[in-house]
Amino acid sequence: MFRDSRRSRVLLAVLVAVAVTLLVLDARPGGNPVTSAVRAGGELVFAPAATGVSWATTPATALHENLLGGSDSERVAELEQANADLRDELRAARIDRERAEQLDALLGLAGLGGYEIVPAQAVTHVTARGYADTVTIDAGTDSGIHPNMTVVNGSGLVGKVIEAGPGTATVMLATDVNSAVGARMEATRKIGVVRGGTAPGGPDAKLTLELFDLQAPVKPGDRVVTLGSHEGAPFVPGVPVGTVKEVQAAPGALSRLARIAPAVDFASLDVVGVVVEGPEEDPRDSVLPPRPDEEDRS
Amino acid sequence: MRTAATLLLVSGAVLAQATIVNRLPFEWGAGPDLVIAAVVAVALTSTPAAAAGCGFAAGLAMDVLPPAEHAMGRYALVLCVAAYLVALLHRNTGSAGPLGGRPSVWAVMGVTAVASAGVGLGYALVGVLMDDPRVTLAAVVVNTLVGTVLTALASPLVALPTLWARGALSEGDFATVRGPVTPRGW
Repeated sequence: MFRDSRRSRVLLAVLVAVAVTLLVLDARPGGNPVTSAVRAGGELVFAPAATGVSWATTPATALHENLLGGSDSERVAELEQANADLRDELRAARIDRERAEQLDALLGLAGLGGYEIVPAQAVTHVTARGYADTVTIDAGTDSGIHPNMTVVNGSGLVGKVIEAGPGTATVMLATDVNSAVGARMEATRKIGVVRGGTAPGGPDAKLTLELFDLQAPVKPGDRVVTLGSHEGAPFVPGVPVGTVKEVQAAPGALSRLARIAPAVDFASLDVVGVVVEGPEEDPRDSVLPPRPDEEDRS
Repeated sequence: MRTAATLLLVSGAVLAQATIVNRLPFEWGAGPDLVIAAVVAVALTSTPAAAAGCGFAAGLAMDVLPPAEHAMGRYALVLCVAAYLVALLHRNTGSAGPLGGRPSVWAVMGVTAVASAGVGLGYALVGVLMDDPRVTLAAVVVNTLVGTVLTALASPLVALPTLWARGALSEGDFATVRGPVTPRGW
């Protein structure tokens, strides 16, 4: 059943050995010149292809919708054509408006926090095998983006840059299992860590907050912002992370775990901003949107 | 000619996977994997050595293209071994349908599903060996199941053109060279 020529087996062994060597080289901490050069090459192919797909998908969807309609006479066809053109314009305008709104929100957040940002668009959302929560954005080192920079959108924290090529960068989302963000509770300044996924023994969640102070008062509805790291890398201070949904005080635990509802809708990421320059001073809670219940009361 | 066409189709599948499929927002994590389908189609019509080379190249390309979030070589290793095994088993069991003709759509989908499940588990196994905290039992089960089903459903899109191109071009190139062919097997 497994008959095969010797040469073929040797080739397989060589290929496997090469793959394992690459794995070992690339998995070691710190950059490796060989693998980063190869990555840069891959990025060179990917960037124009991704731009092409971005450019092509908009008219393609419009064309598809145009083709769905049929007509009997020329007049009807003409009117339908005009109608479709108008509808296309409207749709394009709506997409533009949505983008503009997202950009506005992003600029508002950046202005409140005093962050200097580079806007970008998410061009991939999933990975082929589905384990990592990463997106690729269409801006890279040419725009001043480097690894370990904070990525935000109009609602709050998206993640951090882990890989940057000339024209694209890979962002690890805050919901990734490997992600850990230093966080602070709104107002009380109690600190903790927000991890992606579910902490061992914690509630099933996309984001879990681990508070180091067992006595710290936490209740559902409390909001969490980033604590900020040394020199703003990887996380700048004051970016909204999410809202506490559920607190779990496990008996005998050294810390408190809470389920966090992310401030950002990770399923519909589009326009994001990479913080290339952190704020002069900690913006405290000024980036958080006003509480909805307070607005109701006033 | 056949090699050039294969190269073109496989790199097309790789690029489509990286730029189009990975762009679609799949809520449940894993999406269909066109690269597996392309590699299986090549493996079903070539020698184990060629299949291993093709799997390695396609996997390495997927490792290199953004988002390059895993260590380089991980996917190349798994796809290389998977392609080799598919080609080896196919060649030695000769389960190619009547008279060694082109495999049917269902056979291709079945082989792709098995290969996809194997690749999913193999990829997770490499993750376990490398101590990747993302690989948990629940994640592996969900990703492998969803990935297998979606890949099998999407496989005819890539596998059939590849099989067709390889079949059409091989008749022009090799039909006379091959000599007497046994009625079964390749």
